[in-house]
Amino acid sequence: MAKLVVRNLRKLFGDFEAVKDVSFEVSERETLCLLGPSGCGKTTTLRMIAGLETPTSGYIYIDEVLVNDVPPQKRGIGLVFQDYAIFPHMSVFDNLAFGLKVRRTPKHELTARVDETARLLGLSDVLHKSAKGLGLSEIQRVAIGRSIILDPKILLLDEPLSNVAAKVRERMRGELKRIQKEIGIATVFVTHDQLEAMVLGDRIAVMKDGLIEQIAKPDEIYAHPHTLFVADFIGSPSMNLIECELLEKEERVFLDAKDFAIDVIKFAETIKKKATGPELIMGIRPEDLSMSKKKIDPKAIRGEVQFIESLGSSSIYHLRVGQRPLLVKGLLEVETGDKVWVMFDLKKLHLFDKKTEVAIW
Amino acid sequence: MARMEQMLKLVARYALLIVTILWTLGPVIWMISLSFKPPTEWYSPNIIPQRPILDNYVSLFISTVPIGGTYFMTSIAEAITRPFINSLIIASLSTIFAVLIGFLAAYGVSRYRAGGTFTIFFTLLTRMIPGATFVAPLMVYYATLRLLDTYQALILLYTAVTLTYSIWILKGFIDEVPAEWEEAALLEGAHPWRVVTQVTIPLIKGGIAASALFIFILNWTEFLFALVISVTQIVTLPVQISMYASAVGRMYGPQAALGLIATIPMVIIGYAIQKHLITGFTFGRVR
Amino acid sequence: MSTALRKIAEWSRRPKKFGRLLMLPLTIVQNFVLIIPFGIMIFLSFTTWHPLAGVEWWQAPIAGLPNFVKAFADARFQWALIRTVIFVATVVPIEFLLGLGITLLFLGEFRGKKIFTSIVLYPMMVPLIVVGLSFFLMFQDFGPVNLIILKALFGGETMISWFLDPTLAFLTIMLADIWQWTPLMFLIVYSGLVSVPQRLIEAAKVLGASSMQILRRIQLPLIKPLIIVALIIRGLEAFKVFDTVFIMTGAGGPGTATETISAYIYKLAILYNNLSYAAAVSLILLVALALVTRLAIKPLAVKPE
Repeated sequence: MAKLVVRNLRKLFGDFEAVKDVSFEVSERETLCLLGPSGCGKTTTLRMIAGLETPTSGYIYIDEVLVNDVPPQKRGIGLVFQDYAIFPHMSVFDNLAFGLKVRRTPKHELTARVDETARLLGLSDVLHKSAKGLGLSEIQRVAIGRSIILDPKILLLDEPLSNVAAKVRERMRGELKRIQKEIGIATVFVTHDQLEAMVLGDRIAVMKDGLIEQIAKPDEIYAHPHTLFVADFIGSPSMNLIECELLEKEERVFLDAKDFAIDVIKFAETIKKKATGPELIMGIRPEDLSMSKKKIDPKAIRGEVQFIESLGSSSIYHLRVGQRPLLVKGLLEVETGDKVWVMFDLKKLHLFDKKTEVAIW
Repeated sequence: MARMEQMLKLVARYALLIVTILWTLGPVIWMISLSFKPPTEWYSPNIIPQRPILDNYVSLFISTVPIGGTYFMTSIAEAITRPFINSLIIASLSTIFAVLIGFLAAYGVSRYRAGGTFTIFFTLLTRMIPGATFVAPLMVYYATLRLLDTYQALILLYTAVTLTYSIWILKGFIDEVPAEWEEAALLEGAHPWRVVTQVTIPLIKGGIAASALFIFILNWTEFLFALVISVTQIVTLPVQISMYASAVGRMYGPQAALGLIATIPMVIIGYAIQKHLITGFTFGRVR
Repeated sequence: MSTALRKIAEWSRRPKKFGRLLMLPLTIVQNFVLIIPFGIMIFLSFTTWHPLAGVEWWQAPIAGLPNFVKAFADARFQWALIRTVIFVATVVPIEFLLGLGITLLFLGEFRGKKIFTSIVLYPMMVPLIVVGLSFFLMFQDFGPVNLIILKALFGGETMISWFLDPTLAFLTIMLADIWQWTPLMFLIVYSGLVSVPQRLIEAAKVLGASSMQILRRIQLPLIKPLIIVALIIRGLEAFKVFDTVFIMTGAGGPGTATETISAYIYKLAILYNNLSYAAAVSLILLVALALVTRLAIKPLAVKPE
């Protein structure tokens, strides 16, 4: 059995169903990310795993033990809060040692374990500094160290990098990844930042309104989003989503998006089988579109450049195709007002049923 | 098992709370009890009077009334009306002055950094000094100025002493009002006085009221200097209470009644500004 | 009138001048009421003037240091000081501990918390004199302490004359102070405790700390600076104790058993009319206080902020 098993968790706050039905498993050495916008239930789920909230129904197993009724300190969890909450009036040493002191661990064992954890996290130099004067990255490591020194079975992180400024965030993200790999505990963390999820998570569970929309490896989520929500949420810039209709006219089967059309005669059958109706939503990521100044491909579609966001190594081109906006990521020597030809890579095209919002291609 | 523990904890908590309440209200209850007891019961341990009377209270206003049927030779006439009025006048005027002058000074310190460190140090100092140390010089001083036994003497004194609190508290409130708001009003051509009265003061109305009430309580209950400076003319309520207690021997009933009457206004005001007291006393102001 | 206002308006544009103008009333009052008497105190202490000496006080000849010499040899003065220090040293810690105890009692939510809190704060609002009066009445020979409490504890007709025994009288004074000011300590400690961020407590709980451990290791250490300030302020106030002493034991009885330093100086000035000596003693006391606070503040001023 996996280290952490969550089954059919449900949580009601009065009339509000914060978590509807959540199930997943996390193995040792694996990091699962709960990703979603605020209010989707990810933090509530985390708190239920930690024991700070009681599930309305459902089961939580840690290391094959049902822990629903077990208080947080006896579950064998390590919890790192969003604002780290290290004790400002104590030294780094005392912060790390807190959990052990509270359990009356004998002094020499305590010192040994603190030294070891400090070494693992690169805190050996600041061990005797007061927690008040530490930098943000050090504070994060103290918060983590404080939890893992107790040899928890699972590690829980609540929005570990939300409080951090953008520039520092990159560096700390890398550090966090390194620490995760070294420590190797089953980890669950919560975030609303999809980039964080992609980098730090071995698997991602995208949540919305108390339910998991999709749970898979980052590559899989990126390449094959199961629902419209996941497709839209993951990826920066967001996927282009275009409403269209599957039409059959004069032996042509195509997706009519009013401003342009795409022939899909090869896959028409598959589409028709899975869709509930002809109304669909087409999705293509900006980086999966290509542009050229001259019409090379007969199927290319014409667009006009509205404005350009330059990112350095590439740029985001805001195009207008007919009445419709379209984003393309790439690099082309054009200026605002120029006309370009856009090509769709049909292999990277996603189709979603308009009604169910489920992917059918 | 856990539930048993919880029940025990709850019982223990309420039991201790009741003990605390008894300790807290004990003296009050006894005072109330005494104030309604006839002289025959003054030396008895019962809390509820067997023959409750109002004479104790009445005798404070009209002194030659029999209490519970017994005539007492009281040497203090109208034990309460004059002192009450005196206390009211002195406390009110001192409070008004303290708040006015204190506001000006607090404004000066807050906005213009006037006074420098010495003033702040000095004002803190006035809190530390035991009042008794000034008894001798003040006696001499006021005697020379022929201010002994006058309203002015006490009013001036109280104003001076409570200015510390006044400035300290008001400065805190003035600091809270962003200076930019006043500057904006000034830029619009408003007269500086208008700026203060129409912008700053309305914003800290609550604070001014709270500090005024707080200082009022201090002035009303002040004892040492009132004792020293008053002779017969301007006896304040606290002094009256002490005189009544010693001069009249064991007249517990009226003494208790007097004490209660003196307390009630203070308690009312105290509860009214309870919230502000709490923020004022917790020196850990996280700003 | 309007020209005056205009002048003031002009001045308000010049910060320094206006600032000084604002402080003017304050300075006037303080000088008049406090500084001048202080000067008088200094002057008097160097004379041997007495109200019945036949001359006005400002004409009294400067006699130099005899008052001060007398003060240092004055056993009564010394004892008054010692008594007052004992008073402060006993009363303040007890008030703190009791306040802490009540705080523990009030932690968390329970039915009627608001009402209980209001009641517990009551003693702070009672005028000092009335507190003295209440306790005076309670500890009378035929008062409730003798008749009710002692009867319940020891049965029979125990009657203790509280105000006739030196130690017991001192005890009653202390009890009055404790009764009145424990709520203040409770207020300060409770507010401080409650202001500790909830997050820290949650974090400690998750790490396995019990409520006692959280209190000892997290909450109390964090409010230490607040408590120190509170103790000092309360200590300074307790040092000045007078009102209760006056009304309960007639400013020092029996004999001089409850004669605090304030009571002693008061008696010197009012009862014995020895104004110059009173001034000298007062001056010595002030200097001593200033020194002590200076010494005490230095190490503490390094800690906060």
